[in-house]
Amino acid sequence: MDNINVLIIEDVSSESDALVKVLKENNYTIVGVATSFKEAISMFYKKTVDVLVIDVFLDGKPDGVTFAETINDIPGALKPFVFLTSSKDRQIFERAKLTSPFSFLLKPFNELEVLYAIEMAVEKFYAQTNGFFSEDQDTVISKEYLFVKKKNSLKKVLIANVLYIEVEERYCNIVTENEKFVILISLTKIIELLDADKFCRTHRNFIVNSQKIEEILVSENLIILKGNHKIMLSDKYKDLIKRFHVLK
Amino acid sequence: MTKIKLFIISILLSYTSPFFSKEQSNRDLLSVEIKKKAREFKKEINFNKAHLFFLKKNWDSTLVYSMKQLSFNNHDNELTDYCHYFRAFSFKQKNLLNEAKNEFNAVSNKFRFYYKVKMYLGEISLELRDFSKAIRYFQEIEKLTNDDAFDFKRSNVSHNLGLCYLHLNKFDRAEEYLFKSAELQQLEKDTLLLISSYMDIANLYYVQYKDRQAIPYFEKAYLLSKKVKDFELKRKAAINMAVVEENRKNFPLALVYRKEYESWKDSLNDQNKIWAIAELEKKFTVKQKEKEIKVLEAENQLKIAERNGLFYSSVLLLILFGAGVYFYKQKIKHNKIILSQKEELDELNATKDKLFSIVSHDLRSSVSALKSSNVKLFENLKRKNFTELDKLLHNNSAIANGTYNLLDNLLNWALFQTKQLYFKKESLHLFSVIQQIEFNYKSFMLDKNISFENTVSKNIFVFADLDSLKIILRNLLDNAIKFSEENGSILIYTRTSNNSFCDLVIEDSGLGMDKNTQEELLNETVLLTKKKNNENIGTGLGMHLCKTMIKKNNGKLNIESQENIGTKIIVVLPKFKNHG
Repeated sequence: MDNINVLIIEDVSSESDALVKVLKENNYTIVGVATSFKEAISMFYKKTVDVLVIDVFLDGKPDGVTFAETINDIPGALKPFVFLTSSKDRQIFERAKLTSPFSFLLKPFNELEVLYAIEMAVEKFYAQTNGFFSEDQDTVISKEYLFVKKKNSLKKVLIANVLYIEVEERYCNIVTENEKFVILISLTKIIELLDADKFCRTHRNFIVNSQKIEEILVSENLIILKGNHKIMLSDKYKDLIKRFHVLK
Repeated sequence: MTKIKLFIISILLSYTSPFFSKEQSNRDLLSVEIKKKAREFKKEINFNKAHLFFLKKNWDSTLVYSMKQLSFNNHDNELTDYCHYFRAFSFKQKNLLNEAKNEFNAVSNKFRFYYKVKMYLGEISLELRDFSKAIRYFQEIEKLTNDDAFDFKRSNVSHNLGLCYLHLNKFDRAEEYLFKSAELQQLEKDTLLLISSYMDIANLYYVQYKDRQAIPYFEKAYLLSKKVKDFELKRKAAINMAVVEENRKNFPLALVYRKEYESWKDSLNDQNKIWAIAELEKKFTVKQKEKEIKVLEAENQLKIAERNGLFYSSVLLLILFGAGVYFYKQKIKHNKIILSQKEELDELNATKDKLFSIVSHDLRSSVSALKSSNVKLFENLKRKNFTELDKLLHNNSAIANGTYNLLDNLLNWALFQTKQLYFKKESLHLFSVIQQIEFNYKSFMLDKNISFENTVSKNIFVFADLDSLKIILRNLLDNAIKFSEENGSILIYTRTSNNSFCDLVIEDSGLGMDKNTQEELLNETVLLTKKKNNENIGTGLGMHLCKTMIKKNNGKLNIESQENIGTKIIVVLPKFKNHG
């Protein structure tokens, strides 16, 4: 599991310092603090950013919104972001609203509010409402990452690294090449959200990353994955063999 | 000399008379056939027009349209024949005999009425005094069977043949044919033609100087002529008698006849004159009528113009009236709106003034409390009395927090009043939001040693605007702390009332309130009374804001309270529905 990379765009150092402190305490990685529009643009493209925290006003101008609008116009570039604002000035809000999906945090804010706002931004951005907060789910799935809520923090897992997923009632055991951990999500949801070309079900309780398959032993109903993980292959899901070109 | 003069008169009569009667008799068959053809060739406009004019005896127009038909369309032989026939007949009627002859000759012998063509050719030849040719034509017709298919009068043919022979001085044959025609005419009861036949027979004898045989016929003709109305015939019969008597040297009688002849001539003239006068009168009356019609038309136009003018002006007036009424109503409406707005404004202004005074009073008192507290702080700092310092700082922070809350509410209230508050409902995790609010109050609750518990179900998502929900929760929690004694407890929990709403309960073990206060709090109108607990800052603005925000989030507010036991503030909020 990796930390979430946050880019902060805030011109007042006292405020950005407080933010950095809060986020670091909660295991977020701060990739940078930009104080102007230009700096923000260059940092955004140089670094790997998962979440943005943007102050609406930079040096008295609504450059924060302009920045959001700029990255909003580039397809695929946009990341989940949170606007920071000290007033609910309707005009600015109407403008900021156009950059969707859009979350904001009203100053002054406490630690919990920042964390909640970031989580909400991720949820909304990947259109998986209530992905982090209910008792039976703590994960939001994007194309590249699984975002998992661990206590007050968020973690990410590169989906490409996942070997297989074992489902146990409400939990899913995620097994990657290096680690193993538990997330909360229902089977139907995870199947729906994962790329069907890469992940396929081999058993009532198993979902396998097809790119990690090393061997299929049809007679023994077994699939052998990278790292010598042995996974059951039940008759019901044997059709998946047809997806591979078999050498005879 | 006299006999020759007599002779000429009789010819003129003989050939004019035939086609009066003939036309009437043979029209039937021919016109029926023409109409049939016209229907058959509906598309030939020119032919149709030609046939119509032909039937109406409008010869000039017939000539024009049949010409057009001939020049444009030559496909159908039958039509061509009809057209030539129309033209020939029309020329003949207009006495252009050579043209008529040419047109008749143009008609092909397959033509249904070719016998008529021959008949007319015979007549034309007779008129052009080409008697032998005429005889040939007539004899051909005579040979035809006496059938209904050929509707012409045999008597005419015989008569005409008789005339031809008479002119050729072949008296025997002439006599034969004339008698035959007279016989037939007697059978047909055609008195007019019979008279001319008698006269021709008389002439026949007279030319041969068979006076004795001639005279009875002249007399017969004369007697018969008295029965008819034809002046021309009467005149001719009379002059014939006059000539006969003159030749017999019976001058008195001849004179009588001549006088009669003159009188018929006069009456003929008179009649012509009468006709002419009648025609003139007719024309005059027609003109008169036309004039009247014109005058009437002009009058009508005037009347129509007048009526239209009246109509338009009345419509205009009606529209003006309608517009007037509409604008008047609009004005009244506007006035009403303005009046209600004025009242609303007055009320708002009064509220604002009151609020302003209370807020400024509160701010003043809290800031003065801070000031005096600061003085104490300085004193204690000098004396290095740190325990007292700590106490004073806590006190200061509580005052600052209270003042901040007041100002925050004021700001939100102002934003709400000016409709500048951004409002967006979304799915919110109620537990997390309460946690966030609680976070700010932890230290105060610790100061008062209040136990706090948030047992809201983590599976509840409400559909509300985040910031307004925070305002609501902040104020309610603030109140709960404010009205709690030391060592009290505050509980926040939910009880689900139904599928679409959840009840959020904020329960404290504080002062509680009586029924009146509860009702006052729930009252819609702005409530700005100083609270009993005078130590605490409060304007009622917080509660008012709560009520407004709850309403805007489609929620409800309820209060359950008992004095000195505690209060339950119940906020009913709509659940987020799509959460499955």
